Amino acid sequence: MHATEGPPLAPLSSDAHLVRPLLDLATSDPKFPIAAVRRGDQYVDVSAGEFVSRVRRLAKGLIAHDVVPGDRVALMAHTRLEWLLIDYAILMVGGVTVPIYDASSAEQVEWIVRDSGSVLFIIETRTMREMVEQLSDRFTECRRIATIEEGGLDELEHNGSVIPDAAVDGRLAGLQLDDLATLVYTSGTTGRPKGCMLTHRNLRTNVMQSLDAIGPALKPGDTALLFLPLAHTLTKITGLFVMESRLREAFATDVAHLPEELGMVHPTLICAVPRIFEKVYNSARHRAHSEHKGWIFDRAVDVAILWSQQRTAGRIRPRTSAAHALFDRLVYAKIRQAVGGNLRVAFSGGGPLGERLTHLFAGIGIDIYEGYGLTETSPTLTVNRPGAWKPGTVGQPVAGTTIRIAADGEILAKGPQVFQGYWHNPSATAATFDVDGWFHTGDIGELDDSGYLRITGRKKEILVTAAGKNVAPAPLEDRLRAHELISQAIVIGDARPFIAALVTIDESAFEQWAVEHGHVGDRIADLRDAEELRSAIQSAVDEANRSVSRPESIRKFVILPRDLTIEADELTPTLKLRRAIVEKSYADVIDSIYFTD
Amino acid sequence: MTRRSRESESQADSSPRAVFSPAWLPHMRFLPDGHRILVRPLVPSDRQQLAARYEALSPAVRRSRFGSAPDHLSVHQLDELLELDYNDRFALAAVAVDEPFEPGVAVARYARRRDNPTEAEAAVIVIEAYQHRGIGSILLLDLVEVARAHGITAFLGTVMWENADLLDALRSWGVTVEPTEPGVAAVRAQLSEIEQPARHRVWKHDVT
Repeated sequence: MHATEGPPLAPLSSDAHLVRPLLDLATSDPKFPIAAVRRGDQYVDVSAGEFVSRVRRLAKGLIAHDVVPGDRVALMAHTRLEWLLIDYAILMVGGVTVPIYDASSAEQVEWIVRDSGSVLFIIETRTMREMVEQLSDRFTECRRIATIEEGGLDELEHNGSVIPDAAVDGRLAGLQLDDLATLVYTSGTTGRPKGCMLTHRNLRTNVMQSLDAIGPALKPGDTALLFLPLAHTLTKITGLFVMESRLREAFATDVAHLPEELGMVHPTLICAVPRIFEKVYNSARHRAHSEHKGWIFDRAVDVAILWSQQRTAGRIRPRTSAAHALFDRLVYAKIRQAVGGNLRVAFSGGGPLGERLTHLFAGIGIDIYEGYGLTETSPTLTVNRPGAWKPGTVGQPVAGTTIRIAADGEILAKGPQVFQGYWHNPSATAATFDVDGWFHTGDIGELDDSGYLRITGRKKEILVTAAGKNVAPAPLEDRLRAHELISQAIVIGDARPFIAALVTIDESAFEQWAVEHGHVGDRIADLRDAEELRSAIQSAVDEANRSVSRPESIRKFVILPRDLTIEADELTPTLKLRRAIVEKSYADVIDSIYFTD
Repeated sequence: MTRRSRESESQADSSPRAVFSPAWLPHMRFLPDGHRILVRPLVPSDRQQLAARYEALSPAVRRSRFGSAPDHLSVHQLDELLELDYNDRFALAAVAVDEPFEPGVAVARYARRRDNPTEAEAAVIVIEAYQHRGIGSILLLDLVEVARAHGITAFLGTVMWENADLLDALRSWGVTVEPTEPGVAAVRAQLSEIEQPARHRVWKHDVT
């Protein structure tokens, strides 16, 4: 199959902007517990009425600070209630939210605030403020910086108290579906991050598309726990989706507190990246094996997978069913307990989850709906859904979306969720769309006979970590190699928990270095773990990391004992680097990077 | 690997020594835009120019050819690139003869695989100012001719996906292109299936 279309999509009414569902909910059911936040040792609800009045006060504050429709407002914060409040307030006054990852480097922050021309910058913590203040003289258009944890929002609300309610209503009445709602910056393989322009129509459509696909899996009273960065469109769409479905959303305070807070919130729904599911599985397995119940656990895993496979095929054999019921009490209940006990539905995106893990969790009682998309597509293009679920694929196109496979295998897409282009970057925009208007995803894939999409490769040289972070290895490697001691640098981390680097030492530079540091006669292999040599390389790593955010940065590196050679097959006879072979011949080294964590 | 071991290895397999084929001779090729380039085997005396031309390349082009982009080629790398026996290891260079100082603008090479002597790894690089003009295709087609004369039946290689011109040309020759690592396409060309376009059969030996 070369092309496939999702089901038809109902058109949006002209006032179906992103704030509409929130306003409707607050009007029809102001007491509805829309959100839950942690206060000390418990979670307390925030009603829809409270939520909206806070958003309105913040919106008035923005008006008081001369934010006019179309103005960009940058927001750098962890996932928390205030993130959504501010986002809604910005949208309410016709502004454009420019989310910045809380872990972004100073270089990235400077670029995003300047490139977007943000007039206001709302940040979360004092540490962030200290970083931002060092850059602020370069923010030519930014008039004000407000810090959430230092009373910045209270001040904003206070300043807004002089603004009449009618001013906000006027702004709301003026909102158009095709107004810009957000600029989300994404990094490509080279160059600076680019701002993806997403409109109210793009995002609201994607919410409706997600609802159309996943809605049947939800039940009234479901609670979602949000913990991934809201700066990521997948999390943001999940947040909007939960609101649209009239469910409650709870906010985790920190990913480190996740195990504890899963137990406090008992979510029925989460949105996660593959790494989270891997962690849940690995820690359960580790615990079982350390209690000498490893064999029971492993058997239970096999049965869970088999059960799910048979369920997908349409018939569960009695033997499987019996074993499944037994292990459900012995093993699966414990795994479910580790994620709060009530988890039933999960979305996974950001990277490949793997067929086995999907079946395993389904067997345990947690249906993971893996999807596919990009920031440029709001993000969802395809998703697995109840009744159309095929692990190992990323599902069928969502409503109103067409997926086509180009002659070279690239996945092309058309649909109302596809973005408007890159902010102030017409050449990058032009390179993304072809003459017939197809959006080029840069990924390679296949459609099976039933229209399920399978991702098989990537045209762009980008690593996707298990945490769903896209990282371009080339600029990092170029920066590493700029150090005189480094001859080759290989950045790794695809489908792994974090980014790391393998480094080889330039032999002639090493000789010089050895003389200067009193190591005459020593070989690279003898010194590769020595503090002196490692700290020299660490400085190159630090330099490379300066250009990227923490999740994109090189956390660990290993100095290889020798240069790469043709003899060892690490280079082709034509001297081309074979990354896969290098990763294979140093598999134990790489294991030591990732398994000592 | 030393020169000696490579020689003993090529004696060990049954493939013949360097075999003459017309592509050996320096010959002129006309680019689709009318410019001329001279195609000839790469020789050891090209060493200095090879090193200098490499340094003038952008990191993106270096990375696309070598999978990594050191700022300059080491002595060892230059040795490897110029250690040609014109049988197991062969390289063709393209020279822009109409320009002052007749600069080299492209190199295409193959190296026979050790585990399967009927196959070779192939690679091509064209300097930026001469890209998108068909030089890579011209060199590769000539290289196919040379390789077939040496008993090679298939070329293997990798091409960055962003190198769309080359991939389009390869696909038009019936070469299979498949995704491997991020950013990289694996290509496999069955040499017997590659038809030499008619214009390539017109040899021009009007060269000193």
